[in-house]
Amino acid sequence: MSVNAWIVVGDQPAIGNLIAVARALGGAAGADGQVAAVVAGPRPVAETVAASGVDRVVWCGGPDDAPAEASAPAVADVVAADPPRVVLGGRNPGERVLLGAAAARLRAAVLTGALSVSADGDGVVVVNAVFGDISEETVAVSGPVALLMDGGSIPPAADRSVPIEEVTAAPLAIKVIETKMFGFDEVDLGAAPRVIGIGRGLKAKEDLALIEALAEAAKAEIACSRPVAEGLNWMGKDRYIGSSGAHITPQLYLAIGISGQLQHMVGVVGAETIVAINSDPNAAVFAQADYGLVGDLYQLVPAITSALK
Amino acid sequence: MKIVVAYKWTRDPEEARAGADGTVDWSRAKPGLSAYDPVAIELARRLAEATDAELIGVTAGAVGVGAAIAAKAALSRGLDRTVIIEDDSLKGAGRAELAAVLAGAVRHIGDVDLVVTGDSSVDVAAKMVPTLLAGELGWPAVAEVNELTGEAGTLRVQRAIPGGVQVLEISGPAVLAAAADAAVPRVPGMKDLLAAGKKPAEHLDLASLNVPARNAVLTVTSTSRPERKARKGQIIDTTDPAAAAVELVQALHGAGAL
Repeated sequence: MSVNAWIVVGDQPAIGNLIAVARALGGAAGADGQVAAVVAGPRPVAETVAASGVDRVVWCGGPDDAPAEASAPAVADVVAADPPRVVLGGRNPGERVLLGAAAARLRAAVLTGALSVSADGDGVVVVNAVFGDISEETVAVSGPVALLMDGGSIPPAADRSVPIEEVTAAPLAIKVIETKMFGFDEVDLGAAPRVIGIGRGLKAKEDLALIEALAEAAKAEIACSRPVAEGLNWMGKDRYIGSSGAHITPQLYLAIGISGQLQHMVGVVGAETIVAINSDPNAAVFAQADYGLVGDLYQLVPAITSALK
Repeated sequence: MKIVVAYKWTRDPEEARAGADGTVDWSRAKPGLSAYDPVAIELARRLAEATDAELIGVTAGAVGVGAAIAAKAALSRGLDRTVIIEDDSLKGAGRAELAAVLAGAVRHIGDVDLVVTGDSSVDVAAKMVPTLLAGELGWPAVAEVNELTGEAGTLRVQRAIPGGVQVLEISGPAVLAAAADAAVPRVPGMKDLLAAGKKPAEHLDLASLNVPARNAVLTVTSTSRPERKARKGQIIDTTDPAAAAVELVQALHGAGAL
């Protein structure tokens, strides 16, 4: 049996969406196309993937102190030995590296904004969002294509597990010397029904207490714009929303002290209801909100918190 | 030691507009150095200064990426020289193709120890060019890099991971994508701009790089503008913050958002 789709997997087996995309494609192409996964992360990741309903699993993990990226050439070898129609990888730094190595080896096209993927004869048709999602292109691809997509959640265990094929290859000369954790809570913003996003309108890190009180009253998760997670480092990077961060579709998104730039708002266009609070009446965010409150967030946020109680 | 910084001269989609049929109008967007590339140049420049390395820019794209203003913008940030592949066949080129061209340029320069890129480009934002470039060269790639020390052969790289940081040691050439907040770029002054005009900008002929053709052909069959949810755009009077809050909460209950 030939491989129709390879899924590249790094340190986390969060590939539920990739399996679904690959399966849908295999079905349309006939029964002979396998969905295979190649895992560069630790062995337990390969074990989870082997029980996730894929047809084949290859593990090419390196030594314990090698990051998943060290196995990128091994992953490319595995994929090129059984060339597929598509290679799929999730949006995290490790899988991007594995996908890049595989795509370079296959001389494949690379698309990163796929909204839907379907089979068309020997090729595939991809509806692909481009330029901060301001436009969508329908692209017909003949030849191999690498797709960077949302990985999705960890797939539930299927009733059968496939054997793990092991590949031993010399890893690249890169090793982990030290790992330091900051102790930020990890969050799954995608699963939260209500999300509060804060931007640079918040003046000091201590003022997060105001936002936390609101979040508790509204039973919401807290997220932020990119500068708050990066330049200011007030929160973990998994909490920033935008074109290169999280894309979420909550029932409610409260944008507080956020100006409303495209790079941020593209991450929340799918929200059911958007509320904007900003002191600048001309802020772009108001044109993209259902309810706008022009004013001082330091007055408005506590008022909303009390109104919710 | 030779350090290459791959940079992009492009336009910001914030200033572009999509028509009803999805056609993107870039006429109001001015080209510039891609937003995170000055961070990459700054991070690389600090290592170059510490190790007395040569710092070389590389860029590839359609005619315009090698214009004097573009080369000057990159060179004034602290590059010693730049290498430009400017060819209209690269207009709208995919990232895989651009990465293959950049790999050809890195090989042309020769004896390169390190390639540094920005976190992502302002227009495509895919974060794939550094990983594809590493794949082309057979080198390791690491993204989200926020500290860079050591020298060729024993690089120490700190990168952000979810909830923390990781320190890596790399004992060979590598491609590193700088985190967007890895360094605060210096703003070039008049002296830097004047000096940039005198620094070498080498134009390479695309054909001379012998970049192999891709195995895949992409054909855009149609474009459309994504349907956006219509927003109410209702402004709530905030003269009395408490009353505004009550009105908002009532509206949200009505909309089923709470």
